[in-house]
Amino acid sequence: MLIVRAPMRISFVGGGTDLSAFYTHSPGRVISTAIDKYVYVTINRPPLVRKVSARYAISELVDHPRELKNDRIREALLHLGILSNIDVGTFSDVPVKTGLGSSSSFSVALVKALLISQGKKADRGEIAELASHLEINLVKEPIGKQDQYAAAFGGFNIFQFNQDHSVDVIPTRLDFKRKSDFEGHLLLFFTGIARDASSVLTEQRANTERKLEVLKQMADSVLVFRDKLLAGDFEGLGKMLHEGWLLKKTLASNVSNPVIDDLYIAGMDAGAWGGKVLGAGGGGCLLFMAPIDAKPAIRGALKRVAEAHHLAEFSEIPFHFVQSGVEVLLNHEHTNQTISA
Amino acid sequence: MEQYIQGFSDKVIGLLRELPREEIAKAIDILQATYERDGRIYIFGNGGSLALATHWVSDFNKSVFRHHLDKHTRRFQAIRIPTTESELTAWANDVGFEMVFAGPLQNYIQDTDTVIAISSSGTSPNVIKAVEVAKRYKIPVIGLSGFDGGRLNELADAKILVATEPGQYELVESVHGVILHLISRYFTDYFDHIAAR
Repeated sequence: MLIVRAPMRISFVGGGTDLSAFYTHSPGRVISTAIDKYVYVTINRPPLVRKVSARYAISELVDHPRELKNDRIREALLHLGILSNIDVGTFSDVPVKTGLGSSSSFSVALVKALLISQGKKADRGEIAELASHLEINLVKEPIGKQDQYAAAFGGFNIFQFNQDHSVDVIPTRLDFKRKSDFEGHLLLFFTGIARDASSVLTEQRANTERKLEVLKQMADSVLVFRDKLLAGDFEGLGKMLHEGWLLKKTLASNVSNPVIDDLYIAGMDAGAWGGKVLGAGGGGCLLFMAPIDAKPAIRGALKRVAEAHHLAEFSEIPFHFVQSGVEVLLNHEHTNQTISA
Repeated sequence: MEQYIQGFSDKVIGLLRELPREEIAKAIDILQATYERDGRIYIFGNGGSLALATHWVSDFNKSVFRHHLDKHTRRFQAIRIPTTESELTAWANDVGFEMVFAGPLQNYIQDTDTVIAISSSGTSPNVIKAVEVAKRYKIPVIGLSGFDGGRLNELADAKILVATEPGQYELVESVHGVILHLISRYFTDYFDHIAAR
């Protein structure tokens, strides 16, 4: 038995510039942090059970991985040549499709766990790349690479996506005081609307050629965001989130919708400096940056709007930043393991 | 005499002004991540560096949760290896001096752990051997070195190099002591801060 976990993430600015349709023109950049919400993957290699089992929202038991309905597990097993005697399970701290990058956190944890079960050790960059290959090329998701990198590396980073497809990981080093002050100005809400990134990103990808200037502006704003963060200018950061959100809404028609707009306006009217939808858009989570004394009013205002829209699943998500990325929590697979240099 | 004392302290002050701040920050981030995944820290070195390792472990384990040991359910452990002189001499006598750290480390090491290796020259064969074990397991290495950093500085993930002329052990070890105290103090302050929130 093997248990691996990978964190979800909050991205602040630059989302969308991690799509190859953009970064093959001009370097993409995203600034994000890992948070203490995790996706867990368990692997067991039962020597006497030839079948392949996948346990997630449903349970699958098949003779060959190609028969699996779960596309990520199917493609990962086929790609790594694991064809029998395996049981893959997963658990998550937050429901899927909330915009916290959980599907890529899953892929990253899955890839790491499968490699370990084969006795292979890979570094974080290799795991992020393999998870990206799995999701983008094998499962054919229309997504970028920021979430796989955020989940693999953990911590507070700028990821720069270069034209040659390489990725630079540039950590933003914050001491505990600055981190906790920053956390204190943030509010995270699940809107209650689960969204599929694919539909938004498919349109966004198709629009990329026409939106190069907007995307370039977003990629450049990442560096400004980092500098304001290092200077402790939280109000300035909040305003940048707001500007970024306005830009992001121009990238695809379905980034926002009337319900999201109502929630967002309620938060801004209650005193937030700025905010954004996390993930591709269309639903998921809303993040606000606000003065500490405005937080109770923002909570109240959003709750009222959510009730008016009958968003039964609406809730605040308390969180902290974390430094850890994809990690092995338990490894009892030693019988299968040899350490290769 | 006063001049001699001034000369030495000027050199130490010069090195303290030039502390590799980015690499120390990186080391702190590595240790933070180790804590979050319930990993352990192994630290080692030869001679004065082993004394620094022992000193650091006793400070760290004693003081990191000193204000709320009971409140804090999660643990954060630092271990000097080898843990006993008996183990050190057993490896040295039975296998060879180059195995005194790598041997014990090989038995302790888990995927969640982190290594702090101390070597003023950065070339001590037994330190390098243990660092190679850590690299093989892909666990992070914080390297505290001096002089030109040697092989340790090349291999380490956090490259804390106190650059001096070769042979300046006193200067290097003095500054290593400051850096190790800085790290302990950071985590003590951090745990005080989160206990208060």
